[in-house]
Amino acid sequence: MEKFKTILITLFLALCIPVAGMTQNTVSGTVIDAETLDPLPGVNIVVKGQPTVGTATNLDGEYSFDVPSLQDTLIFSFIGFLRQEVPIQGRTTIDIELEPDVQTLEGVVVIGYGVQQKEDNTGSVNVINTRDFNQGNVTSAQELFQGKVAGVNVTSGDGAPGSRPEVRIRGGSSLSASNAPLYVIDGVPLSDDGIAGSRDPLNSINPNDIESISVLKDASATAIYGSRASGGVIIITTKKGRKGQPTRINYNFKASLNTNHKQVDVLSADQLRTIISEEFDESALERLGDQNTDWQDQIFDNSISQDHNISVTGSMDQIGLPYRLSVGFTGSNGILERSSLDRLTTSVALNPTFFDERLKVDINLKGVREDNFFSAESAIGEAIRFDPTQPVRPGDPGDRFDGFFAWTDSQGNPITIAPANPVARIQQTSDNAVVFRGIGNVQLDLEVPRVEGLHANLNLGFDYSDVGTGDFRVPGSAAFADDGSNAVGVRRDFDQTRENEVLEFYMKYDKELPRANSRFDITAGYSWERNYETSETFETNFNIDDVLQVEQDIDFITERFLVSAFGRINYSFMDKYLLTGTIRRDGTSRFSSENRWGLFPSVALAWKIHEEGFLANSNVLSELKLRLGWGETGQQNIGVGNFPFLARFTVSEPNARVQFGDEFVNTLRPEGFNSDLKWEETTTYNAGLDYGFLNNRLTGTIEGFIKETSDLLNVIPVPAGTNFTNRILTNIGTLDVQGIEFGVTGRIISKRETFWSMSFNTTWTRDRISKLTNVQSPDFVGVEVGGISGGVGNTIQVHSVDFPRNSFFVLEQVYDADGNPLEGVYVDQNGDGIINDSDRIRFQSPQADVLVGVSSRFEYKNWDASFSGRASVGNYVYNNTDSQFFINELVSPLGFIFNSTTDILDTRFRNAQFFSDTFVENASFFRMDNINVGYTFENLLNTESTVRLSATVENAFIITNYSGLDPEVFGGIDNNLFPRPRTFILGLNFNL
Amino acid sequence: MYNRKLKTWTIPLIGLGLMIAALVSCTDSLDVTPPDEDVLTSAQVFDTPADFRQVLAKLYAGLSLTGQQGPAGDPDIQGIDEGFSNYIRQLWVSQQLPTDEAVVAWNDPGLPEFNTLEWSSSNDFVLGMYSRIFFQISLTNEFIRNAKDRPEEEIQAFNAEARFLRALSYWHALDLYGGNVPFVTEEDGVGAFLPEQTNPSDLFNFIESELLEIENSLPAPRQNQYGRADRGAAWMLLTKLYLNAEVYTGEQRYTDAITFASKIIDEGGYQLDEEYEYLFLADNHLSEGIIFPVPFDGLNTRTFGGTTFITHAAIGGDMNAADLGVDVGWAGHRVTKEFVNNFVNIELLAKSQTQSFAAANAAQDYPEIFVTGSFQEESNYGSNWTPEDAPALASVNSDDVYEGYVYFGSENTEFKFTDERSFDVNWGDNDADGTLDPDGANIVAAEPGYYLFDVNLNELTYTLTKTEWGVIGDATIGGWEPPDQDMEYDAEGKVWTIITELSTGEMKFRANDDWLINFGDSDGDGVLELDGGNIAISEAGQTLITLELGTPPYTFSTERTSVDSREMFFTEGQTLEIEDLRQFTQGYAVTKWKNLTRSGQQGKDPTFPDIDFPMFRLADAYLMYAEAVLRGGQGGDTGTALQLVNLVRERAFGDTSGNIEAGELTLDFILDERARELYWEAHRRTDLVRYGLFTSDDFVWAWKGGVQEGTGINDILNIYPIPSSEINSNPNLVQNPGY
Repeated sequence: MEKFKTILITLFLALCIPVAGMTQNTVSGTVIDAETLDPLPGVNIVVKGQPTVGTATNLDGEYSFDVPSLQDTLIFSFIGFLRQEVPIQGRTTIDIELEPDVQTLEGVVVIGYGVQQKEDNTGSVNVINTRDFNQGNVTSAQELFQGKVAGVNVTSGDGAPGSRPEVRIRGGSSLSASNAPLYVIDGVPLSDDGIAGSRDPLNSINPNDIESISVLKDASATAIYGSRASGGVIIITTKKGRKGQPTRINYNFKASLNTNHKQVDVLSADQLRTIISEEFDESALERLGDQNTDWQDQIFDNSISQDHNISVTGSMDQIGLPYRLSVGFTGSNGILERSSLDRLTTSVALNPTFFDERLKVDINLKGVREDNFFSAESAIGEAIRFDPTQPVRPGDPGDRFDGFFAWTDSQGNPITIAPANPVARIQQTSDNAVVFRGIGNVQLDLEVPRVEGLHANLNLGFDYSDVGTGDFRVPGSAAFADDGSNAVGVRRDFDQTRENEVLEFYMKYDKELPRANSRFDITAGYSWERNYETSETFETNFNIDDVLQVEQDIDFITERFLVSAFGRINYSFMDKYLLTGTIRRDGTSRFSSENRWGLFPSVALAWKIHEEGFLANSNVLSELKLRLGWGETGQQNIGVGNFPFLARFTVSEPNARVQFGDEFVNTLRPEGFNSDLKWEETTTYNAGLDYGFLNNRLTGTIEGFIKETSDLLNVIPVPAGTNFTNRILTNIGTLDVQGIEFGVTGRIISKRETFWSMSFNTTWTRDRISKLTNVQSPDFVGVEVGGISGGVGNTIQVHSVDFPRNSFFVLEQVYDADGNPLEGVYVDQNGDGIINDSDRIRFQSPQADVLVGVSSRFEYKNWDASFSGRASVGNYVYNNTDSQFFINELVSPLGFIFNSTTDILDTRFRNAQFFSDTFVENASFFRMDNINVGYTFENLLNTESTVRLSATVENAFIITNYSGLDPEVFGGIDNNLFPRPRTFILGLNFNL
Repeated sequence: MYNRKLKTWTIPLIGLGLMIAALVSCTDSLDVTPPDEDVLTSAQVFDTPADFRQVLAKLYAGLSLTGQQGPAGDPDIQGIDEGFSNYIRQLWVSQQLPTDEAVVAWNDPGLPEFNTLEWSSSNDFVLGMYSRIFFQISLTNEFIRNAKDRPEEEIQAFNAEARFLRALSYWHALDLYGGNVPFVTEEDGVGAFLPEQTNPSDLFNFIESELLEIENSLPAPRQNQYGRADRGAAWMLLTKLYLNAEVYTGEQRYTDAITFASKIIDEGGYQLDEEYEYLFLADNHLSEGIIFPVPFDGLNTRTFGGTTFITHAAIGGDMNAADLGVDVGWAGHRVTKEFVNNFVNIELLAKSQTQSFAAANAAQDYPEIFVTGSFQEESNYGSNWTPEDAPALASVNSDDVYEGYVYFGSENTEFKFTDERSFDVNWGDNDADGTLDPDGANIVAAEPGYYLFDVNLNELTYTLTKTEWGVIGDATIGGWEPPDQDMEYDAEGKVWTIITELSTGEMKFRANDDWLINFGDSDGDGVLELDGGNIAISEAGQTLITLELGTPPYTFSTERTSVDSREMFFTEGQTLEIEDLRQFTQGYAVTKWKNLTRSGQQGKDPTFPDIDFPMFRLADAYLMYAEAVLRGGQGGDTGTALQLVNLVRERAFGDTSGNIEAGELTLDFILDERARELYWEAHRRTDLVRYGLFTSDDFVWAWKGGVQEGTGINDILNIYPIPSSEINSNPNLVQNPGY
């Protein structure tokens, strides 16, 4: 290996070192990293003013070359480090320490259709690099930047392995349409549709392969993505090999112990016996068992997960081919019995260049196989509800219900509407999926000859996925007494394929106009995308030899296209005044031909104040940049399929046929449609100030924004008789979101052996709906949303004009002198003497007022330590786990018994009080997401190889007043959350 | 060198890029037709008669189903639980829950207000019914719009059916919402417009003219395919429209009601079914008395509304769902005391219930021995020769003298006695001499029968006495003179039963028509004593007498059974009074709807009954005829009216015992008879409104107006409000008065 490397390096050097002049003025030395003190190979060294005279450091960071004169100045540059100019001043040995460029590792930011120097950027873009990523048991990309970016709220997924964290950039901008950002991975926009059978579509990307993540927040940055950008854009760039890079093998291993550290407080068997004996007659007592079963203990258990990644990075320079290959395996086991995710990922990145680097080729291929076992998550709620006095499995396998306890009626038949035995539910249900997904692209970037500064770029990408899932329930089981197919069991198969293709072609022209003290670049391009999906659901008896009772075969195919033209101009005057303008015209097949085209412009200005004379000599202020931006974006992911505008008919399935004589006829239903439907449009105003003090030891941004979404999509009642539906999605309404973001990062200590940095960011946002219907009627309460458990069709939230989205819509509870709620006593808001729906008030919302992210990193010699935490203030949660239990309903009229949370002992509510605001709780919290300690062993096999050992605690602790299991509830309705485990991780990283 | 190569490549590379771009940039690609073969455009749909027939099927599905996927998954109506959104279910809720015929235990939003008649314009079910009615009207308009100008005869026939279905839904809008509703026909388009509000008279005229126009385009009665509307259905709807015309428009149309009721009766060819029960069974498509059914099917027509809802919701408490052919009860619906009162004398009924309960709770712990043998399996005592399952004999005085009754189903039964439920200590009889031998030979009983066992373990003797049981006394038909009224042994329940006519008086139980073994009940607790006092019978009428011997103590019960076969109450464990609407066990349950065939077979699926909903049926036409005559309509006569009413009653009573005299035929009687005949079939609210009793103080029932004893309510509640969301979305609409 070593020999091979030497040959490579020699070749590399031979290629790079230009023919030397005749004068023998040799300068040599070593270049090291000022922070790590590691030698830096591949550092470029040129003589100032003579860019063709130069060299690069070797593997040991050493260099030696001839210079024209010992009075020249050398320029040392290396990606990720600050450039240094060093006058030779007659010396022949010059050792240099390069300071890392901490603000952005590479000094460039990835933006839509290109990259840009950080300092030239005018939009609101945050870049998070490998170095800043969250440590721990990260399975999806969103977790890498959780808490790291002001204005970005990443709500952790629940405790299921590989579950999806929800990302909201600046609070989103929609009601009914998607609020999720657009993800672009190596230039391929990911389909915004979920993948059946995968808890999170972004699981297809192995976080270990990610190099950097750009979060595009304001319209100036996102408008180039037009009709999909209202939720913000996240651009993910994966790791690649670099030319001249020595071969590196990296193996990364993590072992995790997931612990269930908290349970929902439910009544113990004795507490339940007491309350039943107090409140019910003899017959109810007789139904109680004599056991003391902790059902949550029965279904949750600590679990072990493992994660392996191996990558090879290098460059076959003889054929000009930098490469990176990686293989990863994640075996993640949930704390709920039988829940797991096995994931195998591979990625290949090849970046050859041709024609003297005038043609650059980027080839990225990523493949994943996910094996998801979903377990039966409904058991989580059942473990709370199930009678703790009953045994788990009083019988033997082979007995009825496989020996599990099940609620039966007087004839011994299962009561199908009673809760199922949670253990049986898990054991007798199988629900798993295998997901294959491939994402890839080829990007060709050509420097057009004879026109200096002109590039042509062609990007062809695909994103294919194929899912097979199966779900079966054992016949005659105790587990699924609630689905009416008890006798024969159910087998359900689901297949889905998605094919998304993208083609993009753009030209870019860079030009400097030295006389005008200006430079500009123009990008113009075209993009075409197709999304195609087929799926099939087949449902039949568990045992098809039985009399066929269930058979259902549902096919589904759909397709859509997006065609766009886009352009951007960046103009810089005197390197101080920057202007960016973008425009995109999108055409989508999702809307009728009258509405399908939209134009999305943006303009932004920036002023690099620190370049002005009055600040140029400041020792304190090293950077100050003011940015102002305006732009319009759209949201076309409207969640109602691909043909909401089209008059169409749907054929009914076999179970929904109509009897004509002896024959059963499949029906044809006309579908409701809205030919006027179009995208939502969001106008964003943004003002930001980037600052840096003390040679950028302290850097950060303060930013304010206003977003107004008009043509807000909202499902409104249709005037009766005018359409084939009673509710239809219509562009109506306006939503305002405002916010202020503040971020600061300080390198408190940056010495040879000691490094300490801290980052802090905070965001304040608020949102208001300012219009919702065509006819503004004071009687119109709004759109009721937020379905809850308990009863059928109850909702707890409402979208109302002048209130935040998803405001809780509740009755104001009246309390007695001791602070206990009085059952059924509410404030009569309208004073009509009756308590009914018209007394409901809008009370708080799930959106946090203030979000805070804080993280720190500390290094001393070979030790390193870091933590990352988040706070959320003013977010409210409706505790549906508690609100669904009432004393009178502990015993069902059909003879089975429910357990309850202990909250019932406090409220003593006898009957349903779903709408009491006592269940809406302030769920502000601070969560320590991870704490991480590592030690690196150096020089093991050779000077290059290192081994790092690390220990991490994830979800270390949480501080909150919320009474339920976990205050972090996406959507604000807490019901049967899969508990987030506390995870202890041991990590081992070999770098060879 | 590189550069030259590059130049040669440049043109093709850029060219390729531009070419691909040009190829796909064709904006035609944005005109996508749905690739799914289950999704069709209008042009594809309204082509051949077969296509029209599939859309017609959807118009019928509008009544029976909730969407394109059974039982749920792709709903027609948004914003409400899909099961709730079913037409029949909504109709049932609107017509039954606010009346004396039904209460519901559930507390789904908006539903409790139907029990107490306290709905508002934002009520979910007020909206649900309204949405369903107008969804149906939109569908029918679309069909008619595309069908009316088509030359094909077949399509024109479909069109007449579509117009009938539209008239039916507009009638529901008229009846439930008072007719001040948006008016939309095939002349209007689809999409963004605001319909105008019509009024009851105009809407009445529209429905009438539509029905009269299509009357002859519809097939003759019973000549269309099952499940589809024919002329009989149109006549029936016209009759209902005319009978209620005074409510709708203020104008009496009873003569017209008689005209069309007569057509149904004289020209329809319908028959009253032999048994009332047949109308509500899984195979009620065989019924000859159903004029317009809404068919359901356990495999093909699945919904959580319709008869699935009606059947399951009726089951709870101690009821066995399997007895009604389904897998589970939903514990929802019961009837009020006031409704039960239409059938029986409630005080007496309540007493007989108490009596049977006393007996049921009489179990005692006496020392026991067991009879095990070859009879067990056949006689319903578990497995043969299994002491664990064996019948017990008890020593009432704990003196090792045991007695009890055991049934042997066949000849030459062999058996032994055991001390415990095992063979560890057992006795046989080695020489068949009546003395017991430990571990002795099997004892043999030659004849089958119901034996009294007397076993004396002190002396190791036993005797068997074969018994046949009956009742005697002045309360029975035979008086105190033999022969006794013989009871029958019910091997499954291990009890003796008889259904007989009792009068007030006294009675006793006797074995073998002899006073040697007889039981009375000295203290009236339902527990029998040998040679005890006479049993007092306080209620006359058809009675089910049950005698439970077996292991002491012996018990009996009497249960008044109706002679009116329409009285289908389940009372065990149910109270008559409803103090708490949420408790299923308060109020009598109803067993009228059963997912069983006439021969007792379960329907195709235990969750989704095969029972078709009889929207219109013949007995209703009989009663409407009679009512229209009594209300002064011309063209009919009271003689026919009496005859028709008595036909309905003869079917109910099985004979003429329930027939009424001309003088008894009053409007009040008709209303009660309609309740008895048509309860739980979604007619009651309309009937009460027509009689002016829905809101009035003159007739109250449990929880009417929100109080347990019931109270009169505001007359505005005679019609439902226009839903508030509709008022908000269509400024042309004015709310119904008072809401």
